[in-house]
Amino acid sequence: MESLHPRIRLLWIVQGVIYAVILGLVLLAVDRWALNVPTVALAGVVFGVFVLGGLYAVRLYQVWKFELQSDALYLERGVITFVETAVPFVRVQHVDTQFGPVERLLGLSSVVVYTAGSRNADVRIPGLPPERARDLQDTLRELAVESEADDAV
Amino acid sequence: MNRLHPLSAVSYAVRYGFLWLSLSLFLVGALASISELLSGRWVPVAAVGGLAFGIGYGIAYYYRFGYRITDDTFDVASGVVARRSREIPYGRIQNVDIRQGVFQRLVGLAVVSIETAGGQSTEAALNFVSEAEATRLQNEIRRRTADGKRKAHSDDERDDSSVTDQEFIGPLPASEFDSDTPSSEHAGIGPGPGAGDRIHDRSPTEFEEPERKRLFDLEARELLLYSFTSFRPAAVAAVLFIFFFMTDTIIEYLLAIAQPLGGPADIETGTAGSYGILTIVSLVNGIIVTYLLSVAYAFGTYYGFQLGRIDDDFVYERGLLQRYSGSIPTGKVQSVTVTANPAQRLIGYAGLWVETAGYGPSSDSGSQSAVPLAERGRVYGFTERLTGVETPRFERPPPVARRRYLVRYSLVAAGLVAVAVGVTTVTILERWYLAGVVFAAVPVAAHLRYVNLGHYVGEEHLVVRRGFWKRRTTIIPYYRLQTANTRRSIFQRRLGIASVVVDTASSQSFSDAAPTIYDIELETAREVHATSRRRLQSALSERSQDDDLSLDVDFTDPDSSGP
Repeated sequence: MESLHPRIRLLWIVQGVIYAVILGLVLLAVDRWALNVPTVALAGVVFGVFVLGGLYAVRLYQVWKFELQSDALYLERGVITFVETAVPFVRVQHVDTQFGPVERLLGLSSVVVYTAGSRNADVRIPGLPPERARDLQDTLRELAVESEADDAV
Repeated sequence: MNRLHPLSAVSYAVRYGFLWLSLSLFLVGALASISELLSGRWVPVAAVGGLAFGIGYGIAYYYRFGYRITDDTFDVASGVVARRSREIPYGRIQNVDIRQGVFQRLVGLAVVSIETAGGQSTEAALNFVSEAEATRLQNEIRRRTADGKRKAHSDDERDDSSVTDQEFIGPLPASEFDSDTPSSEHAGIGPGPGAGDRIHDRSPTEFEEPERKRLFDLEARELLLYSFTSFRPAAVAAVLFIFFFMTDTIIEYLLAIAQPLGGPADIETGTAGSYGILTIVSLVNGIIVTYLLSVAYAFGTYYGFQLGRIDDDFVYERGLLQRYSGSIPTGKVQSVTVTANPAQRLIGYAGLWVETAGYGPSSDSGSQSAVPLAERGRVYGFTERLTGVETPRFERPPPVARRRYLVRYSLVAAGLVAVAVGVTTVTILERWYLAGVVFAAVPVAAHLRYVNLGHYVGEEHLVVRRGFWKRRTTIIPYYRLQTANTRRSIFQRRLGIASVVVDTASSQSFSDAAPTIYDIELETAREVHATSRRRLQSALSERSQDDDLSLDVDFTDPDSSGP
């Protein structure tokens, strides 16, 4: 089983910080226009979210695993709900590599695998070094072409 | 390129005329209110100009719209200024639907929609063509789709005689199979008007008329049972909508009804008791009206329902005022679902739905009714013959799952009691503890949820059953699997159980989540997950090796139907 690049934790921590800041702003707005929120409580909540976000990021990194198996791309992830997903190569419609602004800053890419399914129709593997992402994209594409099924939707 | 029916030009002219009329009026109004440049004097000019432009645009739209049947694709070209030409390969077409509203039926027009799996909306909609043209298009497209398939494996194949003596749904009287119904019944829309034995009477057409087999006709009794036992949430929205627009009249009516029973004389004066009576009477009234509306809607939608089969396609027709007619290639069917609500289970009836990756004409999901309602035994038998699935022996989740629901519903009940406490603090109501009565429902609810869960790992199909209010039993062929997911929340991990989500390409609405096997033991879940994956691979390799095996779902083979 392959893990993600360790730097992905930074990305998730940054996300946690963003959530904490948004929550802080909302609480500030509440304090300003509606109820009186004690400053200590406000700081405490924001700090709590920040810490939780950090722990979440670390734990998520620990559980995030993926693997190319003989017939399918297999992934395991999730802190609250642990999900094991198998995407048979024959069901892969197309594969993207993407990166957002923060990912680019950290030098990371995501691989997104699309299926024709109705739920979980796109499966994302975040936090890969760009060359690994491209490599994985090529491999998946080849495997998908190899196992081409005739009964496409 | 073919044009639409000339009356469409009128329809487009009216539609765009009104659109541009209101648009120009709105623009002039808005500009006049914010600046001095325009005054009210311009309104008539804008109205006439907008109307003329809209009508012109509508007529131009009609002349610039064309469609064509080619050997490989169905082409549509449209657009007045920006042109779009679209080619849809026959092999990718999910279903072809014909729709006729009341007015369209009077003048003999129909809307043809062609659906593929891609995109969020209908890929090609022809507003309007004549009924005959609609039927011709449907037949042509079906024939060409079938031809393309035949070409694909030219070293054909199975003796098709097996199809002719196929068994149909349940023990229907023989007369139902003979198409001796007067053709006037088919005179409207729909595929194969000259089906069955009437084929000989017809003048030779450019291609052989397809043979239509009756699979299921909804009888009057079944239609009534279906209307009265099913409930459509849309009816609630309709009632609220009516109430919103006619609030005063309705309140007067409710007051008049409640008065003899002790309601208040008018809405301002009344005692707590009389208001209570008014509330109860209004509620009962609302429920009855909503229910009747739902009944009427179901009746109108499924009036005259017929399911048939032409070659490899299912064809259906239904509707009282608005007629629908559609065809579904059997090879495009992703899964089938047997549904029954408690009332239907009580009288021993069930319905059958077919899911494709396209979008249905009446709902946003690709789910089509194959049998709205029939006796349970017939539906089960039909489903088994249709899919070739063996009679499932359901396995239940471990009892620990029931304990989980007990806890979950207790939390919900506690939440309700908390709300009741909140209500007593801000209103005159006092006895919040009366809300505790909801706890009595908790064990019942948990048990009902538990007993309706089940799954069966078949040879070629996975069968998933869930739900009490709307129990759905979904049959998924392994080779339709898109992804397999095993999910475990923190609570499930503590209990050592997991849920398996089996995703197919059928486009479901949000309310009907992907088929999920809830709360089975982790080991079982892993097994189901692995089995599904393995059987997908073996089904695929079987299909590629064995050329005799059709690539499509074989829904007709009577040999696999068992005893």
